[in-house]
Amino acid sequence: MTAAATLDDVTMRFRGQTAVDGITAELRTDCITGLLGRNGAGKTTLMQLLTGHRVPTSGRVRVFGVDPYEDDAALRRICFVKESQRYPDHFRVCDVLSSAALLFPGWDEDVARSLVDEFDLPRRRAVKKLSRGMTSMVGIVVGLASRAPLTFFDEPYLGLDAVARQQFYDRLIADYAEQPRTIVLSTHLIEEIGDLLEHVLLVDHGRLLLDEDADVLRGRALTVSGPAGSVAAFTAGRRVLRSEAVGGFTRAVVETDGGDHAAAATAGLSTETTSLQQLVVALSLPTAPHPGQEVPR
Amino acid sequence: MNRTVVAARLHAVHALVALGIPWVVVGSSFAINLVVWAALPGDARDQGGTGGLVSLYITVAIVFLQSVTQLFPMAMGLSLSRRTFYLGTVLAAAVQSLAYGVALTVLTVVEDATGGWGLGLSFWAPGPVDVGNPALQVLVFAVPMFLAASLGVALGVVVKRWGQLGMWTLGVALLLASGLVAALLTWRGGWPAVGSFFVDTSAAALLVAGPAVLAALVVTAGFLGLRRAVP
Repeated sequence: MTAAATLDDVTMRFRGQTAVDGITAELRTDCITGLLGRNGAGKTTLMQLLTGHRVPTSGRVRVFGVDPYEDDAALRRICFVKESQRYPDHFRVCDVLSSAALLFPGWDEDVARSLVDEFDLPRRRAVKKLSRGMTSMVGIVVGLASRAPLTFFDEPYLGLDAVARQQFYDRLIADYAEQPRTIVLSTHLIEEIGDLLEHVLLVDHGRLLLDEDADVLRGRALTVSGPAGSVAAFTAGRRVLRSEAVGGFTRAVVETDGGDHAAAATAGLSTETTSLQQLVVALSLPTAPHPGQEVPR
Repeated sequence: MNRTVVAARLHAVHALVALGIPWVVVGSSFAINLVVWAALPGDARDQGGTGGLVSLYITVAIVFLQSVTQLFPMAMGLSLSRRTFYLGTVLAAAVQSLAYGVALTVLTVVEDATGGWGLGLSFWAPGPVDVGNPALQVLVFAVPMFLAASLGVALGVVVKRWGQLGMWTLGVALLLASGLVAALLTWRGGWPAVGSFFVDTSAAALLVAGPAVLAALVVTAGFLGLRRAVP
């Protein structure tokens, strides 16, 4: 599998703080990657590095084989939609879209027009006067209509209601099917986009905790619950990602290679498959065993 | 289309605002001057000029300052490199300065032909600014305009890269530096020399060559500052 972008031991330090700490990873071409992590985990900084908005303190960033910093040929194939995007005060929705149309070689005006209609965006209103959710919609229209070979969505849904979010996911999938490209989604709403993702990068405190195929990940953890004793017997010898006990009852998330369902059932425990969100929470919580050794490099 | 040209075009998106406001400001200034001049007794009118035109230059500087603080973040969000955005901005400033220079020259020609709008008012080309040669006149207007735009851009870069603190630091530094120069001049008795320099130097040198050199320096410094700015 070829990579649209690679990070090679990339570190980004700000005054007194390390936002990205020696991350090595790649973004697979024509794949939807979820960039997950808690607030302040380093997701936005990573995307700023991949789009040439920032220069790493050390390490190497390559996008389409070149350093994206100030490289117009690479940048024109990248679209970075971020929640905090600022627009000039006097720019109306139509001004933003016509500017984007000038700058993205693959711009699809039909996609833009149908999205504006679908979201019911007022074309001639200043972006500054739009609600938070509508401002997010403008970013989403730009991101989808740009049809950039590498598109980043950084928390693109801020202020969007559930209906608009679903519209976004549906359009993303439809557009992706029509024109496969490399998409990176950074989000907190893991549950909602879990099914969209083909690959997952999980960062925490600037480090990479997970770099795994989403399907593999979905089968990787198992949640078992039952009497404390039986759970303890079952989890012995297995890696426990998280465990909560209430009275004599324990609920534990364990790592599995797939065949543990039956074993748990015979032990009299009830089992549930662990959602991506539960797995991410289990891995990100400080109670989890130190994940440093876990990272597949 | 060439991306530098596209970057320059971004400055003209919804142009009514970016291009219109400076003219509304200077137009208001002109209207006020006309009214004041009309109210003056005839013998007082011959005094000639006003400094109202400066409002156009200041407004242009502010528009270009905002182009960095507001347009630049969007331009990078739409995947322009800093360099291309900057080149496009300089191109927009140059084209705009030249166009404004031509417009101001036309206004000057009309002003001269109508005897100062029939009121003896030199609004568009007061005193030595009126050089009497149309080609040179365009440059006399355009080059300082370009300097105003590049100062606006450079100040925008300072705000964008170093924030409020950077702007205050720059302000205090400039104040101290000019205070120091003034003190030195006073101490060395240099003021008459400064005065005669401005009197003896031709308008062309003072309004074209000087600003051109200064603008070149400011444009270069602005680019160095923007290179590591984060949108």
